[in-house]
Amino acid sequence: MRSPLRTVAAGSIAAVALLAAGAVFGLRETPPPAPAPVAAQAPADRLAESISRAQARLRELPRDHETWAALGLAYVERARVTADPSLYPKAEGALRRSLKVRAADNPVALVGLGALANARHEFAAARTFATDALRGNPYNADAYGVLADAHTQLGDAPAATAAIQRMLDLRPGLAAYARASYDLEQHGRLTEATGLMRRALDAAVDPADVAFCRNQLGDLAWFAGDLEGAATEYAAGIAADPSYQPLLRGRARVAAASGRIDAAIADAATVATRTPTPDTLMEYAELLRLGGRAPEAERQLKLADAAHKIFVANGGSDDLTGAQLALTRGDAASAVRLARSEWRRRPFADVADVLGRALHAAGRDAEALPYARRAAGLGPRNASYAYHLATVSLAVGDDAGARAALRRVRELNPYFSPTDGPTAARALSALEAQR
Amino acid sequence: MTTQPHRRRRRVVPALAATGIVLAGALAGLGPQVSSASSHREAPLIASDPAADNTDLYAFVSPERPGYVNLIANWIPFEEPDGGPNFYPFATDAAYNINVDSDGDAKADAVFRWTFKNVDRRGGSTFLYNNGPVTSLDDKNLLFKQTYTLSSSFNGGPFQTRISDAPVAPSRIGAASMPDYQKLRDQATVQLKGGWKLFAGQADDPFFLDLRVFDLLYGGDLSETGTDTLAGYNVNSLAIQVPFKDVALRGDAKRNPVIGVWTTTDRPKVRVTGQTELGPRGDRVQVSRLGNPLVNEVVVPANLKDAFNSISPDKDAGIPAVVKRVTDPELPKLIESIYGVPAPATPRNDLVEIFLTGITTKAGGPIKADLNSQLNNMDVDAKRFRPSEMLRLNLNVPVTAQPNRLGVLAKDLQGFPNGRRLTDDAVDIAVQAVEGAAQTGKLVDALAAGDKVDANDNTFGDVFPYVALPNQGAVNAGKGTGTAKSGTNASPAAAVGDSGPALSPVSAQASSGTALSTGILVAVIGVGSLVTILATWWLRRRRTAPAFARAEDTIPL
Repeated sequence: MRSPLRTVAAGSIAAVALLAAGAVFGLRETPPPAPAPVAAQAPADRLAESISRAQARLRELPRDHETWAALGLAYVERARVTADPSLYPKAEGALRRSLKVRAADNPVALVGLGALANARHEFAAARTFATDALRGNPYNADAYGVLADAHTQLGDAPAATAAIQRMLDLRPGLAAYARASYDLEQHGRLTEATGLMRRALDAAVDPADVAFCRNQLGDLAWFAGDLEGAATEYAAGIAADPSYQPLLRGRARVAAASGRIDAAIADAATVATRTPTPDTLMEYAELLRLGGRAPEAERQLKLADAAHKIFVANGGSDDLTGAQLALTRGDAASAVRLARSEWRRRPFADVADVLGRALHAAGRDAEALPYARRAAGLGPRNASYAYHLATVSLAVGDDAGARAALRRVRELNPYFSPTDGPTAARALSALEAQR
Repeated sequence: MTTQPHRRRRRVVPALAATGIVLAGALAGLGPQVSSASSHREAPLIASDPAADNTDLYAFVSPERPGYVNLIANWIPFEEPDGGPNFYPFATDAAYNINVDSDGDAKADAVFRWTFKNVDRRGGSTFLYNNGPVTSLDDKNLLFKQTYTLSSSFNGGPFQTRISDAPVAPSRIGAASMPDYQKLRDQATVQLKGGWKLFAGQADDPFFLDLRVFDLLYGGDLSETGTDTLAGYNVNSLAIQVPFKDVALRGDAKRNPVIGVWTTTDRPKVRVTGQTELGPRGDRVQVSRLGNPLVNEVVVPANLKDAFNSISPDKDAGIPAVVKRVTDPELPKLIESIYGVPAPATPRNDLVEIFLTGITTKAGGPIKADLNSQLNNMDVDAKRFRPSEMLRLNLNVPVTAQPNRLGVLAKDLQGFPNGRRLTDDAVDIAVQAVEGAAQTGKLVDALAAGDKVDANDNTFGDVFPYVALPNQGAVNAGKGTGTAKSGTNASPAAAVGDSGPALSPVSAQASSGTALSTGILVAVIGVGSLVTILATWWLRRRRTAPAFARAEDTIPL
């Protein structure tokens, strides 16, 4: 039988593993700055409550397939909120157990497995699970949510939109609004996307959900180059749930863009300490580099590598992160190989972007150009993609293309990166001076 | 001229080189879509939704105010008392409705609609709800509260606002923070011109049961029941008290005493496809629905719960996919596999038919009595009658002086399934429903005592809104902290007479050639099961009266 205590212990395995890695490699001699003061009482964590209620019930009733499925889904949700991949095997165990008790007519377990597959970036499998679940219960809004996420990541935008609309028609609410907002954002309809995310915020109750919505609103403001609006949303989110890490990442972005590198580094350090995932560690490393602390940045990159290995060890597959890590190591050949592998699985804007960068790093700019263009086409509101397109364009001698892309950067969000932003501005000035 | 491109290029590169920066991507990039984890945006999937979490509906005639009916609906089960930061708001983006059908067409003839607003003075700096003791709803120390607008619509007409900015009784966040909660409850109980009384806010969860009774479906052991699983937890209640004439067909409760009641929550329809951004004005999507107790827990098969919650009662009779579920229900088979009690013969059209319509002689069902079908309303057009799952109440049944928890089954015709009082023991009826065998009259012995929880942990009030005050303290640390003032339910157990039931099953045979041939909804199973229970109960009472008399003697009603 599972005990709540053991759950808590297992839940922090990833963090422990990383801390241990840090101890072994001697990478953590600099304690992160103290987090912002929070109230003594934490807000209620209803997800944790429902997990412990399910565990208690299953101790009595190991044949309750519905509760096993619900527990598995709750683990997946918790893994999302806490960015703790060690919950994936627990989720899978609960969901498989549910199917073992009731193999047929068990759509909730299939939805859970689909959500888990999405979390592990196995999007084709997720699509299959969701489709199977819907065969058993065509009214299951959660299944449409899983299906929409899978379609989105697999690059089938029309199918994703259709699944989201179905979800909205079946059960409007936070989960559907959030996906609809993302879908609109993908289509460049930022004003409507913001409106729907506000609606999601209205529907949010749990602090983690409020934080999620505030973070998305902050990101939308950030996308539009609205630093002040972004800062306001991130601050409101942090007030609702100080433990939600992406908000600190957002605040760090704003600080870095405003020239407050030390504040940005402090927030990034807090995030990287609490949720040491590859991308938080890479962000931390980038800010450390920006702050002239290259040796510390190198240590964080080693940790990022370790975190990626943990994600993979827990059944996740994410060659995109692998490619990014290879890029930071200067291993262009591996970056190209990994990014290609991800692209075969998931022809998505960010994958095209990384593949383009990898090819560029390998000196294969002619091959890089179509991918850079693809990324900019798939993500027309993304200043980073436009910047990378400019980089490749310049390398192949297409000054006009580079100039157009850099103008796009300026128009979208000149603050998109504390390192690349100023470079982009200078490059555009130089290019425009040529006329 | 031909060399110009080269010249230009040469000038660009030094310009960049002069800055000392290579035009290349930063290592991770800080844009939200650049690194994989943030671009693969994982949105919440199973977020808490207080609007969809409706738990129970009660409908009963006012014992202390003749001519008035109470409709009480609850949302959000398992609210932990005294959590400090635990505050359970109503959703502000949804509408909460109590619907009444008086003419039997399964469409609402009266709708009472609550919509909520937050009054949040926290300024984004804290998540705490109060800043010192709260002695009134206007207390400055109460940093967060809600208000509501109640509007109503009759006979399909437009909604008219009856009151705006009415106060919601806040979540009870501890004795230190709220030293006199009764005062807050009283301030949140309002009376409108015309006599309506309203309440919205937190209360003790009035439902009493041991949830483990349902565990038999998962191989559980019924010998371990007897604990009120919901004791100590709170819910969010909406209550309204209106005169009969406002809900009865043609305003005449003498001629048309039967109403059907169900709750719904809905949100505006949102479109991301097609030409318009939003659907037609006023177009709404139902996210939850509730009529009879335990329909979602016990009755509706898991795969059909979502469908059931999304449709309106007038669609109940028109979903072909579930017909088989109704005529060939799953639950009796489960019972058969666990307890070896043969499932009743199928198809079960007789039972299904009866419960979709309420208890009446006008639909050809086995119970020869006219109790609570809209078909018995004198001004009903029988041709427009539509079978559907809802909680049906005959307003003309006199108030029972000593209510019996077993309601109609114990000859107390004022109780469930004729409406539902706070003290009615819905579970013990449903427990028998799962073995539902009116045809055989056999009960499963292991289920005979039901869940062994016969009354709520807190006594109910004898005036509107009746529900007990919210509990305080840890859930398992002692009971009764939420008792409302002047409870009347502590009176001695009702004596159970030996005379036969007022209603008796006449035939368990399915009556063929009825009007209700095909297409009957899922929920019907529940309804059908309840009828089964009724019939079974009486059969059993005839044979084993002592056992039941003992069970009933323990009822503190």
